[in-house]
Amino acid sequence: MTPPSLERRLRQMRSRILVRSWGYRQRAHARGVWFRLRRVLTDASEAFAIPAEAARRLVAEGHVAERVGEDLQPPKLIVRVPAARLAMVDGARPVAVRLSADLFDAEALALVPFDLGAEAPRGSPASA
Amino acid sequence: MGSEVPNLLEAGAAATLVVSQDLDVGVPVDRHANLKTRLGDLHEFESSADEPSVWTPRSPALLELNFVGIDPAQDPAEAYVLEDDRLPLLVFGALSLVTAGASIEVEGMQVPLPRPAGLLLEKLVTDRTGEKGERDLLVALGLLRLAGPGDLDEVEGAYRRLRTELRHVVRSNLTILSLLGPREGMPDPRSGREDVAALLRRLEAREPDLP
Repeated sequence: MTPPSLERRLRQMRSRILVRSWGYRQRAHARGVWFRLRRVLTDASEAFAIPAEAARRLVAEGHVAERVGEDLQPPKLIVRVPAARLAMVDGARPVAVRLSADLFDAEALALVPFDLGAEAPRGSPASA
Repeated sequence: MGSEVPNLLEAGAAATLVVSQDLDVGVPVDRHANLKTRLGDLHEFESSADEPSVWTPRSPALLELNFVGIDPAQDPAEAYVLEDDRLPLLVFGALSLVTAGASIEVEGMQVPLPRPAGLLLEKLVTDRTGEKGERDLLVALGLLRLAGPGDLDEVEGAYRRLRTELRHVVRSNLTILSLLGPREGMPDPRSGREDVAALLRRLEAREPDLP
């Protein structure tokens, strides 16, 4: 007979796999926004809260706006910016690179990417 | 098979990478009978009444032993119970990704350790939730820090053999690992973020149409 403790752990594991499979099917939909946001943050060596107007200027200059920002409610401009350019942005405030209230409170975010060589093939930038 | 592995793989088994709470012992299912004949040698441990695959130490100076089953033929997303009166085992499919690696000598006995690549992938392909999940991901980071170019080639090769959903789980766990904050009694994971980003980018490199 299977010991109850092992039976319980097996049941819990199978439940987690069912939830995981649901999450996988949701990856391109609402539930998937968490993965997509984490994915964008993973490439960032640093993150800064910046004024929305400054973020719009950066996008107008040609810096990449991450599409996942449009998927958040309310939408948030998330811009990939080299450190040298970010240094010239007034009012930039460093925030920890993690899912935190501080990060979600920011009007807009500037992410300084790691220098990993060629651009990642993932996702696609927003149309902004 | 668990958190002690990166510590033991460090030069001189320096044990600076992870703080372990227990010791997982991987048991290939075809060696289960052999192991049972040796259980009587575990004088310093006794089988837990609640959890018979766990053996608790008689001394607080020792770690708890957690026996887990390995079935190389198993699907990585499945699990089953190997029933036995004396030592039943939960057999985790993700452990089928683990292969035997170098041995270290402990008090005259050869102790085989898993190859880092397979164990790293096992940590990343398994659901990780809550505090234990985060600790397991820190073990993955410890292994990543020890991994050489050959190990990373192995990780990539094994990753490409996984089905699409499991590859997504691996990438998802890497993003969770990348955003972990420091935890008391564990090395700060933030210094490893660039290695995590590099591995993730490498795994994605030949994957079109990722969300």
